[in-house]
Amino acid sequence: MTRLRRDPRAERTAIQVAGAARPRYDRTARRSSSGSGRPRRDPRAERAGQRVVGEARPRFDLSQVIRVEGPVIADTQPRATTAPAPPKILIVEDPAFLVAVVPDAPGGRLSAHDRQVLGAARALAGREGAVALLTLGACEGPGPAGADRWIRLDDGTEAYDPAGRAARIAAALNGLKPRHILFPESLDGGDLARRVAVRMGEPLFTNAEVVAANGLVRPAKGRRVEQRIAPGLLTTVAPDAVADYAGPPREARPVAVETEAASPAKLRILAAARVPADPATVPLALAEFVASAGNGITDLDTFRTLVAALRATPGASRVLCDAGLMPRHTQVGASGTVLAATCYFALGISGAPQHLQGVAGCEHVVAVNTDLHAAMIERAGLAIVQDAQIVMPALLRLLAQETGETP
Amino acid sequence: MTSFVPLTTVFPGLVWLMAALALLQGLRRAALWRVGAAAPVAWLDGLAKLPKRYLVDVHHVVARDAYASRMHAVVAGGLLAASILTALAILPPLAGFRPYWFVVALAFGVTAIGSLLVGARRYPAKQKRLSAGRFQILPFLLVAYAVGGTITALLLALRIDGLFAPLALALAAAGGLGLAFEVRHGPMRHAAAGALHLVAHPRPGRFEGRPDTALQPLDLDAPRLGSEMPADFTWNRLLSYDACVSCGRCETACPAFAAGQPLNPKKLVQDLVAGLSPAEPAYAGAPYPGGRAAQGERGALARLIGPDARIHPDTLWSCTTCRACVEECPMMIEHVDAVVSLRRHQTLERGALPEKAVGPVTELRQSGDPGGRPLSARTDFAAGIELPVMSERGGAEILLWLGEGAYDLRYGRSLRALIRLLREAQVDFAVLGAEERDTGDLARRLGDEATFQDLARENIATLAQYRFARIVTADPHALHALRNEYPALGGRFTVIHHTAFLLELIRAGKLNPGRLPDLSVTYHDPCYLARYNGETEAPRAVLDAIGVTRSEMTRSGKRAMCCGGGGGAPVSDIPGERRIPDLRMAQAAETGAGIVAVACPSCTAMLEGVTGRQAEIRDIAELLLQAVEAGR
Amino acid sequence: MKIAVLLSAGRHPVSGAAVLPRMEAQAIRLAAGLGEAIGLHAGPDAAAVREALGLGLARIEHVAIPEGGDPVPALIARLAALAPDLVLAGRRGQGGAESGIVPYALADALDLLLIPDVIAVTSGDGAGTLTLDQSLGRGALRRVSLRGPVLATVHPDAPPPLAYAYGRARRGSIDGLGSAPTLTAGPDMAVEERPYRRRPKLVKGAPTGGSAAERLKAATGESGSAAKGRLLVEPDPEEAAREILAYLRQIGVLAASSGASSDASTPTP
Repeated sequence: MTRLRRDPRAERTAIQVAGAARPRYDRTARRSSSGSGRPRRDPRAERAGQRVVGEARPRFDLSQVIRVEGPVIADTQPRATTAPAPPKILIVEDPAFLVAVVPDAPGGRLSAHDRQVLGAARALAGREGAVALLTLGACEGPGPAGADRWIRLDDGTEAYDPAGRAARIAAALNGLKPRHILFPESLDGGDLARRVAVRMGEPLFTNAEVVAANGLVRPAKGRRVEQRIAPGLLTTVAPDAVADYAGPPREARPVAVETEAASPAKLRILAAARVPADPATVPLALAEFVASAGNGITDLDTFRTLVAALRATPGASRVLCDAGLMPRHTQVGASGTVLAATCYFALGISGAPQHLQGVAGCEHVVAVNTDLHAAMIERAGLAIVQDAQIVMPALLRLLAQETGETP
Repeated sequence: MTSFVPLTTVFPGLVWLMAALALLQGLRRAALWRVGAAAPVAWLDGLAKLPKRYLVDVHHVVARDAYASRMHAVVAGGLLAASILTALAILPPLAGFRPYWFVVALAFGVTAIGSLLVGARRYPAKQKRLSAGRFQILPFLLVAYAVGGTITALLLALRIDGLFAPLALALAAAGGLGLAFEVRHGPMRHAAAGALHLVAHPRPGRFEGRPDTALQPLDLDAPRLGSEMPADFTWNRLLSYDACVSCGRCETACPAFAAGQPLNPKKLVQDLVAGLSPAEPAYAGAPYPGGRAAQGERGALARLIGPDARIHPDTLWSCTTCRACVEECPMMIEHVDAVVSLRRHQTLERGALPEKAVGPVTELRQSGDPGGRPLSARTDFAAGIELPVMSERGGAEILLWLGEGAYDLRYGRSLRALIRLLREAQVDFAVLGAEERDTGDLARRLGDEATFQDLARENIATLAQYRFARIVTADPHALHALRNEYPALGGRFTVIHHTAFLLELIRAGKLNPGRLPDLSVTYHDPCYLARYNGETEAPRAVLDAIGVTRSEMTRSGKRAMCCGGGGGAPVSDIPGERRIPDLRMAQAAETGAGIVAVACPSCTAMLEGVTGRQAEIRDIAELLLQAVEAGR
Repeated sequence: MKIAVLLSAGRHPVSGAAVLPRMEAQAIRLAAGLGEAIGLHAGPDAAAVREALGLGLARIEHVAIPEGGDPVPALIARLAALAPDLVLAGRRGQGGAESGIVPYALADALDLLLIPDVIAVTSGDGAGTLTLDQSLGRGALRRVSLRGPVLATVHPDAPPPLAYAYGRARRGSIDGLGSAPTLTAGPDMAVEERPYRRRPKLVKGAPTGGSAAERLKAATGESGSAAKGRLLVEPDPEEAAREILAYLRQIGVLAASSGASSDASTPTP
């Protein structure tokens, strides 16, 4: 018997609180005396840490999270470190398996969606596994986002060749042999995932909204049912469904993978060029940032100049469109266009119910209006009770000043 | 004295010649109607009822313009009397009887006065709604014929001989033959075609005192659906368009025209007339707003609708199907039927719905609601109030049809008021809940007859499962579909508007409203209640029962102006210079009333959407509930 | 140009009624401007895609396969015989698993070029070339010129479907091509189904690791950058302008001006 025998009686005596009439025990103290290498979670201790002191009835502040839990794997360092030390990098030395993530990483930066996929991968990897990030070309900050390993393939050519790209990634994945592979269910990521799935001849579980080791869940049949499955090889993760990785930074150790030479691609794509969205002409329903004029605006030339300076898409209330001051297709609202913009900048718009229906899907609203009680002021994240007619020139002056400072 | 004998023959002979010419010209025109499709016409019945239809029904409409009514009575009566009397003078005993000629002269004299009245509408300046062109010559022809006839008859009566007689006869001949010639393309066509139209009217029910307003179901197995070209209309409809006298009353009444949308009912009918024959003279009335000049091909087989054809699609989709033009038309022309028939072809055969209407019609077809909302969400407005559902009850005295308005936040308030009133009066009622589909009104007005018939059959089958005595609905569009249009598809129900039902409850003493004398109210008639169903009194009686100060707008009752919410116009959203509800609210503001009472979800939505309005928009049910609560 | 539009039996997202998926209706509109198009459907019942006739297709070919069978082999066989220059499909199905894998399987088997998320197709300059506009979201495009044949999947931002015309549906024809031998491949994954449960969407900017109370606080805007309802009453216009620009930069819709780097401390998500 190499293992120490536990003496529960002695352990209990050691943690007994002195002085109490009834025997009371301080179970938090047990941790230090623990002989085994693996730290254990102690819900009781966590609970005690949340207790609000000085109350007659026990009250708990649930926002307090006491992470008693130690680092999960191979914690070789003593736990009691000095608090403000530089963030400790977690290292998984010898993972039992790999969870690969193939991010979009547009422009070499992880998107918000990519980070969520890394969070999902971490949930699948658990304690024993490691998350391996697979990128084509550079990528900023894979470690803090939760990657234990980083496989960086050559950037390849700049040309748009999704099939060739998928072939190289599939080859790398074949070399890596991960247990799970996750992709973001984005335009590019979803495309890549399906190409890889067909190449590998493996089923793909798409658009997972729940990612956990005990199962993946996706909506199906027009969101009338959801389908649950044990995690398979290939999965795409829905946007805004899984939380980012929030723990300490990880190692992101570079790993090389041997891949077979990519087969020469048949050059059937003759040319591909990105056409960026022009905010001035993009359809209102697709616009990201809409600046809109209402009844409180009389100087529409200044409005148009401002819209152009902000690189926003112009919108208008129904009154202005009816009066012919703005084109009909710029009308925002239930009878015009229903927006999906990130930000709606309402100038001189009071916010009729029909108009508010059109901006219901906007994440942020900035409103400038003279009426403090206007519905739009209520709806806005930043509400300014002021005449939009004098705020517009001020905005233009400020923007001009800024560009003047940067020659 | 020998020269008198020829004159007494020649003068009546002139009238006979005129009649022959008119007949010839009329037949030339009538040959064109034959390209139209066959239509069942009760000839004998129609002929027998012609005098009554003309003297009662037509006169009722004409008399709304007192001047025109007097003018027409004098000129048409005189012309007809003088011509018939003269024609009869071909009989020798009459020809030689001098007092007879005095009578003839009197008749011509009356015609002459009438002709001057006709002229006074056009000279020195033409009234705005009238058409120019050949109509501007009409007073001269009339004056020539009447004055020439008067003088000739007087000469014959007084037995005066001389050079005067041939001159007067020549004048009468010029005018008279001119008038007869005009039967084919000119103003006088309205007389011939109009009389025939009254006999062979496609909606004879109109003259029986009941509102014959239901659209006729379309045979979906017909080789061609709807009307693409003049030949696709039935012959009596082609005839009816020829009856148009270009008086422009429809254009004055048309809300789309007033709002500057590209629709003018007069021009639309005249385009249907002109489309039939390349020989038709140019139109000389007010154009479609927007000033479109495309002519397009003409002929019985020429396409009528298209960006390059005579009628632009936008014209077709501007119509709110409010029937104001039909109500005002002295020739009893059915403009809305024409619009819907043309729309049916565009929608069913070409899929050429206006871009913005495609979504709602598609959702209607696929999910039974134009907004694509779950049917079970229709009763969400009643969260918190108990709403009996038919599927749980199996039957009730009253089936409450909620309609599309139930999804609307604002209108939910009206429906809640109605439901509380029904509870107050202890009415045994239930709703269909998630089993209620849209009536298909929107699809039908936009020409999608297939979707309408599908929805109607599904609704009829649902309704057949339950026991109920009557259907009550607050939506006049649903009311019209259920009451007037479902019978043709096999669903016969007694349908009653909520205003009429509430009045019943008040009269039966089940509701005891207090009085609200401080409220000043003007009532806006929904088109589908007033014009389509002739119900204008019940809502007013309810308002009077709660003692509000009630004032009337200039246009009210069956002649009220539309709110712009019917016929799929809000979803088609054809741009104009103004908005119809703004115009209507301006009319309401003229009364000074603080509240505009409404009785229709579409009107509520349209009038509520007017920016900067002073008056409140309240449904009759809301006002009544307030009175009932005040009376406790 | 020979075009094949792949049709599937969809379900209406709200009513659950049998409908043609919207993206396939959009595909028909894209095809209508280009050349002769036929529809191709592999499934147990052709009635499911009859609607496509009313949207502009004159002819649909139907390969009968048993309920639940894999349509891919049947489609591969038929497409190989048809050899179209352009195959259009919706990017996802509607009402089934909605995995969007079928076009990829077809492209792989038929060695077709696959361009996803297309919103416009035009004939290219050279013979047999096409220009496809691919959606990159938010109105941005990638314009791809290529030499066919190509399989393109259609993105929802493509022009909306044409209106359904009952008369056209009446005139169109569905040609049954008999039933295809197919693998009785059930679902390739053992899925367990249950009614959908809506899950909360992640709130941007919320602390992900925190407790439920912290997340709630962030979501309701009691603290942090997502504070809601900041109100300035009658501010100086210049101050208002500064506030607005700072706010717009903070939420990331306005590019940070490099000149005003002093307020670069505002985090960009």
